Order: sequence, then structure tokens, then C-alpha cells
Amino acid sequence: MQDLDIISVNIWHIVISLANLVILFLILKKLLFEPVNKIREQRQNEIDTQYRKAERTKREADEIKAGWESKMATADDEADKIINEAVERADRRNEVMLYESREKADQIIRKAKADVERDRREARETIKKEIVDVSQALSEQIIGREINMDDHRDLIDKAIDNIGDLK
Amino acid sequence: MSLVFLILSLLSMAAAVAVKVMFVPASEGINITGAHVFFTLKTPIQDLPITEAQVNSWCVILAVMFLCLFLTSGLKTRNISVRQLVAEWIVEKVTTLVRSNMGEFFEGFAPFIAAILGLSAFSSLSSLLGIFPPTSDINIIAGWAILVFILITYYKMKAGPWIYMKSFGQPVPLLAPLNIISEVATPISMAFRHYGNVLSGSIISVLVAVGLTDVSHKIFSFLPGAFSDFPYLRIGVPAILSIYFDLFSGCLQAFIFAMLTMLYVSGGFPAEEYAARKKRRQERAEARAARANAKEQKAEI
Repeated sequence: MQDLDIISVNIWHIVISLANLVILFLILKKLLFEPVNKIREQRQNEIDTQYRKAERTKREADEIKAGWESKMATADDEADKIINEAVERADRRNEVMLYESREKADQIIRKAKADVERDRREARETIKKEIVDVSQALSEQIIGREINMDDHRDLIDKAIDNIGDLK
Repeated sequence: MSLVFLILSLLSMAAAVAVKVMFVPASEGINITGAHVFFTLKTPIQDLPITEAQVNSWCVILAVMFLCLFLTSGLKTRNISVRQLVAEWIVEKVTTLVRSNMGEFFEGFAPFIAAILGLSAFSSLSSLLGIFPPTSDINIIAGWAILVFILITYYKMKAGPWIYMKSFGQPVPLLAPLNIISEVATPISMAFRHYGNVLSGSIISVLVAVGLTDVSHKIFSFLPGAFSDFPYLRIGVPAILSIYFDLFSGCLQAFIFAMLTMLYVSGGFPAEEYAARKKRRQERAEARAARANAKEQKAEI
């Protein structure tokens, strides 16, 4: 078998070469481009879903955070409210107690005054009576006879009252 | 498993080398011919000689196919291997190239452009293995150029045959013959550009190698015995030429062919007329549907 001439046109060679290019095109399309594009698309989808998931998670986290923050803020308010209430209540109770104790003290003072007054009156009565008795005894001794008790009592009472008034 | 494909890919190139070694007789001296004919099939119109160019291009196709299988085996969505990275890089680069040169409408051309690039570059580079590069056979490139011409014409006809015919009369009807010539010249120029570059490269390589042998014989004739016969100047110098003619020129021509394909196909496509025609058709279809509806309603009444 010899070689071809350096330029030799053959219809079948041209057709075969054309078919070869088409075949290689199909090979590259089916074996290289389609699988690679498919895997790239798949990866893109995966990335998209991951992003979506991440975004959703972040949104949820933000919501939870916001909830906690608002709760924290209200917690401060609540604490303030509770403290204020407690302080108020304490103040009120304090006042009540103060009032009660003052009342009680007043009562005690009043009672004591009343006691003192009664004691003084009693003492005055007894002193009066004793003075009457003593003066009667003295007068009996001095005069030497029995004095009419009733006449003298009035007299002495008057005298003692005068003395008390003078004092 | 994927390694099997890599080995098969290399094996198919090795098969081309083996065929060359076993069936092609070594040529002596300057012998610039076409591809070696292995056998001839009787076919209508013209006999079909099966030559090195055919065998080598089938080997290249097989190698590329196994390479694709190797690259795309075990694709994953994360923790990707270097292999997958290369596959994705190729796909992305070609797709970007096609999109930037041809626009969104022609995005489906990416595998076709990749096929042109791969087949042309690998065919030209196969000369590095010492086998006949299929791209230095005019028939091979002519086949591709005719396919490209068919594509160009198909996309020009997309807006209707009448618009296609009218485009030959632009800008003046007088220029119609020139337009037709330039239309036909497109695939021919593409074919001859690519084929001529690769073939001239190998011819120059042969000439330089032979010339250097002669020169080195002249210069080193004073050396005794077999030392004077050794072609010293053939060490290194042809290798540098080979870098240009086989590596650089092979890849560059592949790129040029692909670029021209993209530019011609997208440049010839009358996008505005096509959009207008599509719109017209849609309107007509809507009108027909409306009429049919009206008729139906009338029939019901």
C-alpha cells in the first residue's frame, strides 16, 4: 500500500471527518458538559438551601433574642414596680405603726395622768379625813370635852378647802 | 475505577503509535507525502481509502472520550477532587468563552466549540507522538469547515429564506456575486488556514532536519569514521522548531478555528429579524387560536 498524495480530496474522508466532529460533540455533551453542569446545578441548589436554612435560623434566633430582650426590659420594670410597692407598703405600715404607738403612748400618758389625779384626790381625801380626825382629837384634848362631830366637820372642811385654795 | 479510563485514554493514543510502527514503512530521505493508506474500501462515487488520518482521528476521539469519563467519574458537590476541578474548569472556561463571543442564545454551542478545540488541538498535538497529525489532511479540516458552513447557513436561514436571500444583495444588488463568493470562501479559507499551518509546520520540520543533517555532515567531516556521520546539529534545534510548529501552532490553530466558528455563526445570525419573525408567528398563532375559539362558541350557540 502506498501513501496518499499530499493534497487528495476524498468525499468520504470529508463525510467521515464531519461525522467525527459531530460524534465528538455528542460525546463531550453527554460525558462532560451534562454531568458537570448537573453537578454544578446540584451544588448551587445545595448552597441555596443552606443559605435559606441559615437565614431562617438567623431570623428565628433574632426573634428569640428580641423576645428575651423585651422580657429583660419588662423584668427591670417589674422589679422596679415590686420595689416601689414594697417601699410604699413599708412606708404605710411605718406610718400606721407610728400612729398606733403614738396613740398608745398618749393612752398611757392619759391613764397615768388619770391615775395621778385619782391618787391625788384620794390622798387629799385621806389627808382631809385625817386632818379632821387629828384636829378633832386636838380640839377635844384642848377643849376637854366632846365636840359635836357634825358641826365641826363642816367647819374644818371649809378651813381645809381654804388652805387648799391658798396653796 | 477512574484510573482505568485514564489508562484506556493513554492506550488509545498508544494504539495509534503502535499502528504506525507496525504498518507504516519507514521512509528514507525527504519524503513528503500524505497519510499512509492501510487498505481501501470499495464504495460508490469514490473508493474509501482508510488512512492514518482516519485511524488517528478515531484514536483521538477515543482518547478524548475516555478522558471525559476519567474526569467526570465520581462527581461530588463538595470536597471535590482535582480531577473534578479540571473538568469544571474546562466546562466553565468554554461556556464563558462561548457566552462572551456568541451571546446567551448560542450557549448550547459550548460542547460543539469544546469538540472543535479538543479534536483540533489533540489531532495537531498527536504529531508529538510521531504519528501523522490528522489535521494535516485537507479532508479532515474540510469536513469540519463544511459542518461549520452548514451551521452558519442554518442560523442565517432562521429568520426565513427570503431574508437570507436578500442578505446577498446588501448593500447593493450589484455586489451579489461577490457576496456569494465570500460566503463560499468562508469554509474554504478556514479549512486551508488550519490545514496549511499544520502541514507547512511538518514540512518545514522535515526540511530543517534534513538540511541540518547535511550541514552537520559538511562541518564535522574532519572527524574520523562514524563520528562524522552523526548529525550533531539535529540535537536541539528541531526541538525548538517543534515547540513552535507542533505545540504553539497546533493550539493556536485550534483556537483560531473555534473563534472563527463562533464569530461566523453568531455574526451571520440575524437576531432582530429572527425576533421579529418569532413575534409574528406567535401573533399569527394567537389569532388562529382566537378564531378557532370564536368558531367553537358560535357552534355551541
